[in-house]
Amino acid sequence: MTLEMMLNINGLEHRVTVAPTETLVDVLRDRLHMTGTHKDCCMGICGSCTVLLDGHPVSSCLLLAVQAQGAQITTIEGLEQDSALHPLQAAFLKHAAVQCGYCTPGFLLTAKAFLDEYPRANREEIVAALEGNLCRCTGYVKIIETILSVAER
Amino acid sequence: MSATGTDCDYVRARTVEEALDHLQVSEGQAKIIAGGVALVSLMNQKLFVPTALVDITRIERLHGIRREPNRVLRLGALVTHGEIERSPVVRQACPLLTEMAKEIACGRIRNRGTLGGNLCHADPQEDPPAALLALGAIVRIVGPGGVRTVAISDFFVDSFQTAVQENELLEEIVVPTPQQGTGFAYIKFGPRRAMDYSSTIGVAVLLRLGAARGGVAEVGIGLSGVGPTPIRAEAPARILMGQKPDREVCERMSAALQEQIDPLDDFQFSADYKRHVAGVLMRRTVERAYARAVTAGQEAS
Repeated sequence: MTLEMMLNINGLEHRVTVAPTETLVDVLRDRLHMTGTHKDCCMGICGSCTVLLDGHPVSSCLLLAVQAQGAQITTIEGLEQDSALHPLQAAFLKHAAVQCGYCTPGFLLTAKAFLDEYPRANREEIVAALEGNLCRCTGYVKIIETILSVAER
Repeated sequence: MSATGTDCDYVRARTVEEALDHLQVSEGQAKIIAGGVALVSLMNQKLFVPTALVDITRIERLHGIRREPNRVLRLGALVTHGEIERSPVVRQACPLLTEMAKEIACGRIRNRGTLGGNLCHADPQEDPPAALLALGAIVRIVGPGGVRTVAISDFFVDSFQTAVQENELLEEIVVPTPQQGTGFAYIKFGPRRAMDYSSTIGVAVLLRLGAARGGVAEVGIGLSGVGPTPIRAEAPARILMGQKPDREVCERMSAALQEQIDPLDDFQFSADYKRHVAGVLMRRTVERAYARAVTAGQEAS
C-alpha cells in the first residue's frame, strides 16, 4: 500500500506519496531533497537525524513519515528566518564550533528547542540536554561553550 | 522505497475496539505501533519486517495521567517517558517514576517512546520495569474478551516476550503510590552517561522505616539488565526487613541477589562483572533510598 499525504515542513505543505515503512529521514533526504537532516546510526542514538516535531526534538530515523502527518516539522533548513541565521547558527560559526559539520544540524535543533524552553540554562543543564547528540570531531567543548554563550546573552 | 515497504499495510485506529478488530482480522500478522522508537529501530536493522501496522497513537483513551484517591496513579499506555519526566502530578505522587524517567535513553527518545510500548517491547535492560516492579504496579490488558489485569511481576515472560497476547492491547498501567515519607531511589549503571544501548543495569528501591530504631518496615526492589527479564529482588528485600542497610546486611543482600539473577557475557562486560555491579548498585540504591526516608522522617517530626 502507498499513502498520499501532506507533510508540513518548516511551515510549508508538501504533498508526498509514501510507503508505510518509509521513515521521515528518508522522505526528507530522498524525496524532498532536504539533505540538511543527516542519517547515520538509524537507531536513534547519534542525533544526526534530529528534527523538531511540534517543537520537540525527535529522531527522524525512527519516525515513520506517515506518523509525521498533522505535525509541524522543523528541519535545519527551517532554522534561519528571512535569510538571517538563527543566533545559535551565527554563534557556532563565530566560535568555530563546527568541524566536519555532520552532527551540527542535530546539535543546533536540540539546542534551539532547549533554549526556547530554558533560555537561561546553565552549563550543567545544557550538557544534560545534549546528552543524546554525538560528535566525533570537536570533543564537545566548543559546542557547549557556544550554546552557553547564547544562553548567557 | 523498497518492495517490502510497499507491501506493508498501515491503518490508524481511532478507538481501542478498532485496534482490536484489526489485530483479530490479521490473525496475528498485524503489529501495534505507538511511538515507534523500538519498532522502527528494529525495522531499520531489518530485524523486523512488518506486513501490517496498526497505529494506536490517536486513541484518546490511551493517553493521560490521572491521580485518584486511595493512592492510585493511572498512566495511559501512550503516556510518553517525557510526559512522566515532566509531570508535576507524577513527581508529587510517585517521585521514583520521575527519577527513573530521566534516565531513559535521551530526550529525543523520551519525546516519542511510550510507557506501554516500552513494557510490551520487554527489552531486558529497560528502565521502567525496574521501577514498576519495586512499586508493585499492575497493568490492564484489553482483548476480545474484555479487560484483564496482570501484576507487573507476572508480566515479563522472557526477553521481548510478555503476557500480552497477539490479539490484545495494553491499555493502562496502574501504580499504587507510596505513602508520604517513603524513601526512593533509581540508579542506573552503564558505560555512558546517557543513551546506552548495550549493557546497562538499573535498580529501583522504595522503602519505609518502622516506628522505632530506624529499621526498614517495608521495601520493594526492582532490577533490570540482570537476566532475561527484569526482576523483583524478593530475597534481598526480606533480608533488609527490620534492619538498617549496614555493610553486613548489604553483603547478605548481595549474596541473596546472586541466586535470582542470570546476566550473560557480552562484548562489553562479563557476566561475573555484571553480578558484582548488580550487588554494588543495589547497595548504593538502598542506601540512597534509606537516607531519603530518614530525611523525610526528620522533616515530618
